[in-house]
Amino acid sequence: MIECPSCGRRQEPLLTCADCGSPLAAPLGCFAALGLPRKLAIDLGALERRYHELSRKIHPDRFASSAAPVRDASLRATATLTRSYRTLRDPVARGLYWLELNGEKLAENNKRVPPDLAELVFEVQEQLAEMHDAPADSDAARELAAQVVARRGQLQTAMDANVAELERNFVKCDQRPDEKMLTLQLKPILSSIAYLRTLIRDVDRAVENSKAA
Amino acid sequence: MSRIFGIDLGTTNSLIAAMEDGAPRVIAVGGSNRALLPSVVAIAPDGAITVGERAIEMEPHLTVERDGRVSAVGFASGEYGAVIRSVKRYMGLGGDEIAPEDRARYTFADLSGPVVRFQIGTRVFTPSQISAEILRALKDGAERALRAAGKEEKVERVVITVPAYFNDGQRQATKDAGRLAGLEVVRLVNEPTAASLAYGLNKRAAGNVAVFDFGGGTFDISILSIKEGIFEVLATNGDTHLGGDDIDRVIVDWLLAELPDARKLDRHVWNSARMAAENAKKRLTDVAETPVVVELPGHSIRKHLTRDALDQMAEPFLARTLKRCELAIADAKLTPAGIDAVVLVGGSTRMPLVRRRVAAMFHKEPLCLIDPDQIVALGAAVQASVLMGMQGDMLLLDVVPLSLGIETMGGVMERLIHRNTTIPTSVGEGFTTAVDNQTHVDIHVLQGERELAKDCRSLARFKLGPIQPQPAGVPRIEVTFLIDANGILNVNARDERTGREHSVDVKPSYGLTDDEIERMLEEAIDLGEQDLEERLLISYRNDAEQILGALRKQLGEFGALVDGSERARMDEVVERLEAARTGTDRELIAKLVEELNEVTTPFAKRIMDAAIKLALEKKSVEELS
Ligand SMILES: Nc1ncnc2c1ncn2[C@@H]1O[C@H](COP(=O)(O)OP(=O)(O)OP(=O)(O)O)[C@@H](O)[C@H]1O
Ligand SMILES: [Mg+2]
Repeated sequence: MIECPSCGRRQEPLLTCADCGSPLAAPLGCFAALGLPRKLAIDLGALERRYHELSRKIHPDRFASSAAPVRDASLRATATLTRSYRTLRDPVARGLYWLELNGEKLAENNKRVPPDLAELVFEVQEQLAEMHDAPADSDAARELAAQVVARRGQLQTAMDANVAELERNFVKCDQRPDEKMLTLQLKPILSSIAYLRTLIRDVDRAVENSKAA
Repeated sequence: MSRIFGIDLGTTNSLIAAMEDGAPRVIAVGGSNRALLPSVVAIAPDGAITVGERAIEMEPHLTVERDGRVSAVGFASGEYGAVIRSVKRYMGLGGDEIAPEDRARYTFADLSGPVVRFQIGTRVFTPSQISAEILRALKDGAERALRAAGKEEKVERVVITVPAYFNDGQRQATKDAGRLAGLEVVRLVNEPTAASLAYGLNKRAAGNVAVFDFGGGTFDISILSIKEGIFEVLATNGDTHLGGDDIDRVIVDWLLAELPDARKLDRHVWNSARMAAENAKKRLTDVAETPVVVELPGHSIRKHLTRDALDQMAEPFLARTLKRCELAIADAKLTPAGIDAVVLVGGSTRMPLVRRRVAAMFHKEPLCLIDPDQIVALGAAVQASVLMGMQGDMLLLDVVPLSLGIETMGGVMERLIHRNTTIPTSVGEGFTTAVDNQTHVDIHVLQGERELAKDCRSLARFKLGPIQPQPAGVPRIEVTFLIDANGILNVNARDERTGREHSVDVKPSYGLTDDEIERMLEEAIDLGEQDLEERLLISYRNDAEQILGALRKQLGEFGALVDGSERARMDEVVERLEAARTGTDRELIAKLVEELNEVTTPFAKRIMDAAIKLALEKKSVEELS
């Protein structure tokens, strides 16, 4: 139970007080913060509208002249809302959050190469190593950077395919909410995505460094 | 509750604005139509403080006397008092972060501390204290202007703008300045975001907007999505030490290239060259080439600067701004084509080179619908009225410009809040002990984008504890890092098992502690009486100056409308006022201003009549022809 700093009513944790509508500093999960059912498939347009609508009600700018406890509740409620929106907006973050809700998580150091991408990943890593060794600002370095940039496109395509696959699985999970197996099937996809994301970041850094040099 | 005002505390110029009849307006703090207050603060050997145009006159520089001799005027830094400009560049910096060239410009006290301190006579000033003087001058000027308009109103609550790319320490220093000036800082707002509010206020604008803010000392680029009154920042980037000042410095180097080093560093010579350089730079916005002259005792430097040469000098700085734009566009997950409008803010965007390069980068002509000097202050006034609940559905969702994290094993920075995350935001992180019976955990908070802690900026260190002695790994302390709507970090900690809140003793790595601010405030209260007297005196002196200046001008143009005896009466009062103006009796100055006003009223009326008659004659001539 939580007490409204504005009208004093005690109530179940919510984003805003059921009586007076004032923001509450309640510990809320992502779906609850946005007042959504626990479903993985989300319409992003509707999500954004909801986020804006709630922000208008609870944002600190609306309570600049209120008493300190109300201002504090508004600050905390908005922080919770913002974090929840960012988590749900991104399918990957949403999937990872779902695992967490179901007591699952990816391995700490996700080193497993996605099997179907082994060849591409190997080539890219080879190139990154060569780039690392090539003398800065040489023709060889520039040549390698160009090759790596081309490969980056392939990595991104693989990434997009994985995200699409993830979203198809979201729909399946929503259809049969009791099937724990379906949640477990999200894991290898999320793990591939996490791997690709790290690799793409490494590529971007390497290319950036080769320019800076 | 009192009205909230909007303040643009700029590197070069500062302004204050407020909403009037539903539209934001700047307030003429410098008298007749002058809204820009130069951010220049003069501190005399006796501690007297002057801000604005008159402080510039006291800056050490060279001047050509009537007999042609060149002499050094103004006071240099150190034991003789000092004139400080661009103080914003020093906000939130530690002593060790002062560049060598700055050390030639000012005298600093002890550079080993966590705050820059200017040494002026026997007194020491932090950048926040100097900025507080600018804020106070804005407050006094605004109250005076409002009174002149028949409105008795106090400036107590304000919104102050800061560069979007300001880090936590720089924001904190700005808030401290407000507090030291006796103001309640209701909110810090990012400058480009403020500009977007002024831009989008009445247009029901929608779409993606980029704000390119290139001022005197800082550069910001912000990309926003505007939709149904929600102004949501998608990404921001910038450089807090990149602006028109830097271009001026390069021109100065070119101007003084032939002088021996010791002469170059002479504060009188350097400042005179800086003024000449800035003026030449501004002229080159309208003309293709210009002479640049610096008169030195004994000889003068005469050079010629073309716009092409200026463009070459400015190019490296412009390249840096464009690089920042690329990063921001990528972070916003957009392409230049996906940006519907580019808004120019800041005096340096007047340069044709800047406009050309920005247009090329974004594939569209940038907009400059509102005066680039005023747009930020106007936007601050809009945000002030949002905070007063007077802008309906309008809401600003801003972001934190730099990632925030903690130092982990091996000196690595672990990111907890990523840059461009919407604020307010918070993140929780669990901590435990590493050895048995450990009673404290040390946490080092960092801000920045680099991988290693040593390459990021240290924000604060704090100690969690005391923790009950237990085996290693057993205690569980949940620490919440919360960034508020000002972009400033707040930390609190809770023991997971006992549920007890831990006190967190945050020691900022840079900047002032709360105790130090308290002490400065107490000192200020001691000096308060005297300060108030002094400020009133200065404000009456300014009044005197204005009326004397106006009269001089009118006598020059319409002297024929005054007869001998009237002229004699005027001259007599003028003489007494001129004498009183240099004294310290403010009652006397006020009385004489009043008297002069009376004596000149018939004259003013005749001027008015003559002007009307002239206009009518002109009209009838036009009608005849
Ligand atoms: N016509 C012009 N051409 C080139 N530069 C100009 C022109 N007019 C003004 N500037 C430059 O603009 C700068 C001042 O701009 P502005 O008043 O927007 O800065 P500021 O708001 O004080 O600084 P900041 O926003 O960086 O804190 C100075 O460097 C000045 O020389
Ligand atoms: Mg500015």
